Amino acid sequence: MELVSQLVLIAVSAAIINNFVLHYFVGICPFLGVSRRVDMAFGMGCAVTFVISVAALLSWLCTEYILRPGAPLTSWLTGNPEADLSILNYIVYIFVIASSVQLVEMYLRKFFPPLYKSFGVFLPLITTNCAILFACLEIMKHVSIGAGAGAWGGGGGEKWGLAAAMVLAIAGGVGFTIAIVIMAGIREDLDHCDVPKPLQGAGITLLVAGILALAFMGFSGVDSNLKKAISPQDPPAATATTPGDPTEGDPSP
Amino acid sequence: MANDGPAPLERFLNGILPENPVYRQLLGMCPTLAVTGNMKAAMTMSAAVMFVMICANLITSSIRHLLKPHLRILVFVLTIATFVTIADRVLAAYLYQMSKELGPYIPLIIVNCIIICRCEVCASRQGLGAAAFDAVGQSIGFALALASIATVREILGAGTWFGITLLSESWWPVWGIMVLPPGAFITLGFLLGGVNWLSMPRGKKSAGCGVR
Amino acid sequence: MKDSYLGQAWLVLSLALVFGAALAGVQAGLSGRIADNKLNETYDQIPYLLDLIDDDGNVTVEITVKIWRTPDDKLAYQAVDPNGQAVGWVIKGVGPGFQDRIELLIGLDPEAETITGLFVLDQKETPALGNRILEDWFREQFVGKDATKGVVVTRASPVAADNEVGAISGATISSLAVGDIVNAAVKDFRARKGDLELKD
Repeated sequence: MELVSQLVLIAVSAAIINNFVLHYFVGICPFLGVSRRVDMAFGMGCAVTFVISVAALLSWLCTEYILRPGAPLTSWLTGNPEADLSILNYIVYIFVIASSVQLVEMYLRKFFPPLYKSFGVFLPLITTNCAILFACLEIMKHVSIGAGAGAWGGGGGEKWGLAAAMVLAIAGGVGFTIAIVIMAGIREDLDHCDVPKPLQGAGITLLVAGILALAFMGFSGVDSNLKKAISPQDPPAATATTPGDPTEGDPSP
Repeated sequence: MANDGPAPLERFLNGILPENPVYRQLLGMCPTLAVTGNMKAAMTMSAAVMFVMICANLITSSIRHLLKPHLRILVFVLTIATFVTIADRVLAAYLYQMSKELGPYIPLIIVNCIIICRCEVCASRQGLGAAAFDAVGQSIGFALALASIATVREILGAGTWFGITLLSESWWPVWGIMVLPPGAFITLGFLLGGVNWLSMPRGKKSAGCGVR
Repeated sequence: MKDSYLGQAWLVLSLALVFGAALAGVQAGLSGRIADNKLNETYDQIPYLLDLIDDDGNVTVEITVKIWRTPDDKLAYQAVDPNGQAVGWVIKGVGPGFQDRIELLIGLDPEAETITGLFVLDQKETPALGNRILEDWFREQFVGKDATKGVVVTRASPVAADNEVGAISGATISSLAVGDIVNAAVKDFRARKGDLELKD
């Protein structure tokens, strides 16, 4: 039960609250470039989600068994229980990503030719999509360093297992797809608008993205309430005594 | 292979405005939006990018005759990832708070298209001098772009610049939104529009007004 | 066949060797410093959290720090004065805030019955609203609260009961989150104190 609630929280947080594109700004390049048509954007989103999952699986395995301080395989090979290869993290991740793109490409070409045809154009671009490296880095933070390591009260300090890593990756990919598809829909309509000349292209896209990000900010705080809702074992003492709207105001000027 | 590209000085100047990585090439958008909430973070990021870009350009340029065409991207990525790791560790050792604040955006320099693009376009074709000038020019262009966005966001969003209070809180209601993600998108959108407007051919514009 | 592979790959392989050596050098030179930075982040706050600072900002009691751990790697920092007398505990608590995770350091008296201080180690709350949890007046409200009962964050002002803490107006969720993290961490620590063993 605890695992399920952890996974739900990770998924909601990665896909909506802290959306990869609109909160962390990763994957902006395809967001600005590719998102002109809804079907293309959806294809790109699916390809990214697919690659992100493969890369997350591989990088979780590498981090857990080879790279993190005290990883079993490294300790066994070197005979030093505190062996630490984390300095190689970034190099390993970027090669894991490059090879998973290759792997996905070959696999699709062999077994799912129609899918390959629709993804094909996007696949090589994905290697330099920050969203994938970002997902690997988030996983690293929670597996290797153990964000909030040594913390009490079990509030997200626990180390991530494979399930959590995969959920983060898939939810992150879904969040990317949501953002890029919404953007493509808006841009299809923007074609019929009279945009001032200097703002045409990237300028207006960024302004629209700003408004989208503002809308997505409305989801903030959902996770802490969701956590209370799914883990009702002991209601924490710190609840507001005054009922009413507890949301933080939108700080726009 | 002879030096057939633009001269070193031209490369340097190109990076600052005519081929500015952010405003003209729209590359490296991720750090441009993510770390420009305040000047200190933006300048630390620019310094890290400058270090990585200079080292990567110099190494690529010095081994350019040995590169096999189909292995060149692999070599670029290996070089960049190594120097990013070094920059990341140095920051964690000497500027710990800043390295915590920048978090994943330092390792994300690896997939920053600016650096791979410069290795490919300039350093793998031209000599050490041109490559070095190119890297410095491009990274100064990048730093100026980051500085322009960070200036707007920090002054409006926190009333400070480099941590120095400019707009007193007694009469300036800080626009908190400017240091949040939406502020980043909107600021960059307007600045991009502004740069495009400034560099539009003047004659054409007055002709457009004259039609009425 | 082998020759052609080597002929193509020798540059990549030798670069990998050179870069590997460079990284090993960086690791050897800096890893100690980075580890110190991580520890000092907590250590530097201990005198403030245990109220060992006088009005002029000087440390009143020289302390040494003992690190204790549970079998599942939860850490507790115990401050000990020169006579070997325990001065207090510092523990870390983590939980979701309004935007992202909030990391707190909580100071407790030697019996873990009273909260002696609160420090926000890491937060990404909304600037000018949620990030006012960093402000002294908010954090100082937690000092002296009974750790056995837990704190109650309230929007009523002025606060009525002993264990109540006033929320920041406009940032109720962030304030509640801080209260929840403190309560959960203190409760967990008090329940598991018996499992602690000295590290190293």
